[in-house]
Amino acid sequence: MKKLIALMLTMALCLGLVVSATADEPLKIVVMVDGTVLDQNNGRDAIEARWEELHPGVDLEFVQPDHSAYYDVMQQRVSSGDWPDVLILSSTYYAEYAAAGVLWDMTEAWENSKTKNSGRFTGDNVFDGLKIDGKLYGFAPTRGNGCVTYVKKAWMDACGITEAPTTYDAYIEMLKAFKEKYGTYAVAAAGFVGNEAPFVNYLPEFYQDAYPYFVQLEDGTWADGFCLDNMKAALQRIQDAVADGLIDKETLTNKTSDARNKFYDDKFGVFTYWAGTWATNLKTNLEANGKDGELIALKPLEGNPPYYDRVPPVWCITAKCAHPQEVFDAFIDTMLDGGDTQLLWEYGAEGTHWSRAAGTVLAGTDKEATYEEGQFHMLENLEKAGTLYTKNHIDPMLALAAFEEGYDDPRSVAPEALAASELFNANSRLASIVPVTDVLSELNGELTTIKSELIADVALGTISVDEAYAKFESEGAKEMSDEIVESLNALN
Amino acid sequence: MASTTSNGTIQVRKKPLGQRMKKYWGFYLMFIPVLIFVAVFHYAPMFGIRYAFYSWKIVGDPVWVGLANFEKLFKQSQFSTSFWNTIVFSVVKLLLNTGMAVIISLLLNEMISIKFKKLSQTIIYLPHFMSWVVTASVFSLLLSPSENGLVNQLLIRMGAIDKGIYYLADKQQWRVWYYIINVWRETGWQTIIFMATLTGIDPGIYEAASIDGAGRWQKMWYVTFPALGNTIITVLILNLAKIMNLFESVFVLQNDSVRRATNVLQTYVYYQTFNSGASADYGYTTAVGLFRSLVGLGLMLICNYASKKVRGRGIV
Repeated sequence: MKKLIALMLTMALCLGLVVSATADEPLKIVVMVDGTVLDQNNGRDAIEARWEELHPGVDLEFVQPDHSAYYDVMQQRVSSGDWPDVLILSSTYYAEYAAAGVLWDMTEAWENSKTKNSGRFTGDNVFDGLKIDGKLYGFAPTRGNGCVTYVKKAWMDACGITEAPTTYDAYIEMLKAFKEKYGTYAVAAAGFVGNEAPFVNYLPEFYQDAYPYFVQLEDGTWADGFCLDNMKAALQRIQDAVADGLIDKETLTNKTSDARNKFYDDKFGVFTYWAGTWATNLKTNLEANGKDGELIALKPLEGNPPYYDRVPPVWCITAKCAHPQEVFDAFIDTMLDGGDTQLLWEYGAEGTHWSRAAGTVLAGTDKEATYEEGQFHMLENLEKAGTLYTKNHIDPMLALAAFEEGYDDPRSVAPEALAASELFNANSRLASIVPVTDVLSELNGELTTIKSELIADVALGTISVDEAYAKFESEGAKEMSDEIVESLNALN
Repeated sequence: MASTTSNGTIQVRKKPLGQRMKKYWGFYLMFIPVLIFVAVFHYAPMFGIRYAFYSWKIVGDPVWVGLANFEKLFKQSQFSTSFWNTIVFSVVKLLLNTGMAVIISLLLNEMISIKFKKLSQTIIYLPHFMSWVVTASVFSLLLSPSENGLVNQLLIRMGAIDKGIYYLADKQQWRVWYYIINVWRETGWQTIIFMATLTGIDPGIYEAASIDGAGRWQKMWYVTFPALGNTIITVLILNLAKIMNLFESVFVLQNDSVRRATNVLQTYVYYQTFNSGASADYGYTTAVGLFRSLVGLGLMLICNYASKKVRGRGIV
């Protein structure tokens, strides 16, 4: 009996020790993130330290593969069963992982969250677009952003064009005037069609309402946008513009950096590129090349749909997370807290990425900026000397919530970036998420390759639009397209 | 330990394995990290081959489909195009690169000025150290149809063409330039092995040929070239075994217009995986990879057989 009591007491003691150890253990959050958060070479440790300082009792651990390899590594990790607590996902993976049960349903947590009920949140339409079958599996702190069309003011002036074009005809006339004046093409892009949604965002004036991927029609049924009549008209417009020398035929082989460099070198005058911060980047790079940097952001042409707002990458909590509600409260719901945590996600850590101390910052090879005590300013990039940090994970111009009233909001947005951003926000719509079916994942790889080839061949004038569609049928692509559409409609 | 048999021959008896391992325990100890590395990184991943018989989209459990992935593979027109492209690109590339390497080696060997010879060797080796991404960027610029394209501008000024040709967008021209770019990049490096062989030729043979009245051309044709014969065959055989490994050089030069016509097996797998708008069926892409490995294995066995015949020893 004595032995039994001794044994029980020992067990109780051990159990007590275990329980007390568990109770004292801080909440640990393993976060898998791509290069959109400043990486280790760019002071990520300072961000992590500041975050933990703001959230005592929570241990944050970043897993951050190389940006270009993120989805490879992330998929490997998910397939191995070793899921992180939180991960960031693009729209494609978001829809698929949600359907596969990898993600925690945060609908209720979001409805009761501080962010949603803060009165500062402005992204209800974005979050409506993120819902899958009425459920929310991811949190987007920003809009996805999209592209707007920029026109060089100096080129317009040189051609005597005083008003930005508002119709397709006026737009084409402007391109022709540019070509005549400068003897070069007027528009260039990286590819005649993109390789991810929204595929048409680099040539919106030519695609107009056409979309080469699967679209949901007004009656709720799905169709392949490539097979609709508006796509045939769009392809004809592109072919004509390339044949007339208005679009750079090397658009086929241009990378985004090629297109940008040609723009900076004044090889062409009309460039559809990202809204917001990029408006400033384009301006400063043009000026660095000794060109006039003034750009005019065009509204969508009359009769054209708004610009596409990309579905933003979302933060998700995995279904294997042991304490999803706690992780949501600590990590997700504080990202747009309107205070210090939001500041951290927008600008990084004080002293590493930004400062309010008096001092001089090198901003370019021959430029210095001097700041007074208390004046907010970004610091020099740790990896690229002579350039300044512009943001951390959240682009301040795209954030879905403002800072709390009275909080010392450091936002100082360049006027051209603000103008482009406001124009885009007022004239954009969210690209839709296409559900993933087995048939789609089986056939769409080959179908997309065929579509891209036909679009490129039509654009270069190798084949006519009619020949392209005849080829689409004869090579079995129409059949694949129909099968995918059928599988999507079966979901309704 | 040695002992003499009844017919007088000496037979060496090996010590038992355990004793030998004990004697050389230091070497075995040093070999352990290598063994672990090979087991973990080369053999353990081979268990992934089983997914070729499953349908698996990363999330969820794999579903057994038997040979369905292979059935699908042979039905896909893109697969057969990619398969033949892999063979054709590799074989043509191999023959061209080896042929050019032999010619350049012979020319280098004939150079009298050592300084100029070394300078030439350095220049022709350099492209090998350029990444394929940089190589593709350089040639995209050189072959540009615009006024920046050096090749087109030269041809226009020579009166050979009226306007720039978009070489990389033309399905036929793309192949020609693919071979040219490969020769430019790889030939120099391949000359090293031939140059080493040429250095090893006995100068006495050249002297004897001179005494017999052979001229420079005759010495090259009757002495140098035959001496290279064995090396040429060896290089061809060794390279033939790895011809299924074609990805980067094709991938970086592709564009939307030529992709289907120029896909090789590995780029086909890449686009099946990342172009589907969803997680690909890794079972199917593993089946393609397994098929490629089997063909590679077959080629290697053939090469091994050929090597035994030609060199008297195999390559494995």
